Amino acid sequence: MTPTHPEAAKKFLADPGRSDWHDQALWFIRAKRDRATDLPEWEALRDAGAAMKAHAMSRLGELLEEFERRAAASGITVHWARDAAEHNHVVRDILTAAGVKRVAKSKSMLTEECGLNPFLAAAGIEVVDTDLGERIVQLAGEPPSHIVLPAIHWKKEEVGALFHVHMGTPEGESSPDALAAAGRDHLRDALLHADAAITGANALIAATGGVVVCTNEGNADLGMHSAPVHIVCVGIEKILASLDDLGVLLRILARSATGQPITAYTTHVTAPRPGTAMHVVLVDNGRTQRLASPEFRSALHCIRCGACLNTCPIYRRSGGHSYGYVIPGPIGAILAPSVDLEAHRALPFASTLCGSCGDVCPVRIDIPAQLLAWRARVPAKPALFARLGRLLADRTRFERVGRWARRVVRLVPTQWFGGRWNAWTRPGRALPVVPAESFRDWARRTGRRK
Amino acid sequence: MILDGIRRAAVPFAPAAAPLTSSNQSHDLIEQFLAVLASVGGAGVVRQRDQSVDALLQSFLGDAWTAAVVVPGRFAVAENGAVYVDAADLASRTDIVRSEHLVLRVPANRLVPTMHEAVRLMPADSACGWFLSGPSKTADIEQALVIGAQGARTLHVLLDPE
Repeated sequence: MTPTHPEAAKKFLADPGRSDWHDQALWFIRAKRDRATDLPEWEALRDAGAAMKAHAMSRLGELLEEFERRAAASGITVHWARDAAEHNHVVRDILTAAGVKRVAKSKSMLTEECGLNPFLAAAGIEVVDTDLGERIVQLAGEPPSHIVLPAIHWKKEEVGALFHVHMGTPEGESSPDALAAAGRDHLRDALLHADAAITGANALIAATGGVVVCTNEGNADLGMHSAPVHIVCVGIEKILASLDDLGVLLRILARSATGQPITAYTTHVTAPRPGTAMHVVLVDNGRTQRLASPEFRSALHCIRCGACLNTCPIYRRSGGHSYGYVIPGPIGAILAPSVDLEAHRALPFASTLCGSCGDVCPVRIDIPAQLLAWRARVPAKPALFARLGRLLADRTRFERVGRWARRVVRLVPTQWFGGRWNAWTRPGRALPVVPAESFRDWARRTGRRK
Repeated sequence: MILDGIRRAAVPFAPAAAPLTSSNQSHDLIEQFLAVLASVGGAGVVRQRDQSVDALLQSFLGDAWTAAVVVPGRFAVAENGAVYVDAADLASRTDIVRSEHLVLRVPANRLVPTMHEAVRLMPADSACGWFLSGPSKTADIEQALVIGAQGARTLHVLLDPE
């Protein structure tokens, strides 16, 4: 049984210094995002972002078929995969047919979602994650803790120790410049000598049959333009109707993600290089099910910028691994319950409902509303809450119990309420002094309410 | 199968996003482009008619200038310092990432304010094309910005006279 979010978060919070450091690192990125989105047309861009995604979802089948037709016409093989297992089998079959032993993979949350790396490893195919942050967590045997910044929870001294073991950097070396230089040599070697490249996609364009990939490191380009086989693994919700929509996406994506005006590399590829093979695997894995739910459909609009993670007070203080789902943070907390509500029942509660995630979302997903809607769906409320619900619904009983409680609670030593069993009074939290009368009584007494 | 699921979801039609036009207020696109390019770790210059490309590269890169890969860009975007490069103009698609020093040459009169105008200039028959904005970079180690991740370590843009 994987630990719940509060249990896992407690582990992360056991080191307050690290939690503070993590909090500050993400707030730094949030501040950069604020400066980068300081455009007169920012709110209009968010409207356009929301509209283009809603449009694409309303014509999803048609646009995917248009993409497939155009991509196939220019020599790309398009595959459809209903779930993670089918996706993994399709990718493995392409690789084995081509005799591939080494794969250079660039960032793709979809392949994380599908568990592609362990599946290929079991088939005897070596996968090197070529984004520097992804390589750090891969070497450490961890999943990414953030969808854009996979190793945001790693300190440079720890990266130094890891690279010392795996890349032979000098012991104690912790300068980001020196470590990134070692990573460059290590990863360029993997990228230039791979038998196949796997990338994700930030968008598919129906009008061009094109795949759009954005990186800052250049790793996706080095891989896909060097290897004889290129496989794009992508969720069906990444489709956009037109290049006009791509213009909007490219204006909001990097600004929201890292506070950059655009990523260093933005690639639009519609055909393989002559003499090489290119495949696109379109993956459903629960997406059409979400599409069928008017309440939760708009979660499919997510462009995976990570802005809601960076701004979330819970994510910043509890770390990405505490969510126990491939996509952490507020967006993960509304995606995970539809995958397995029982396993992820704590996630809709990993929020203060402050609303910041919704405010920064560049495609205006109403994350707070969906968090609330998922809370209402978490099954089997404890009997205590059912009783409390009845009490709160009955004003006479509520006032009677309130009057009784205000008298009794003051007579009881506070330690009774403290203690391990009460999450509200753990060390560092104190119960406020119990008032002598209720607000309603006060209003009656002072003549404010007849 | 998947298409059946999509049909069953019966999502009501939502109109396409209304086309946005630039509200970029900059009167001097070249000035804005050069400033943004510098902020993303690149460098650019407007080449005068009497300046040779080689001499300019030497002044930028010193002895390393002979190792630079020079590729043509079709147009540039003032708001983000990006240059559009099409694979049709290159010997190999890896040209843009393999070299340590990348130099992009763009006609100075081919600047657009924002991505809204830029995507409309992408060639319809393109097999592969890029928006390149500054050199390769990473901030994956403690958010410290390191220029020169897996791709080019330096990126220079020459805005050529008409």
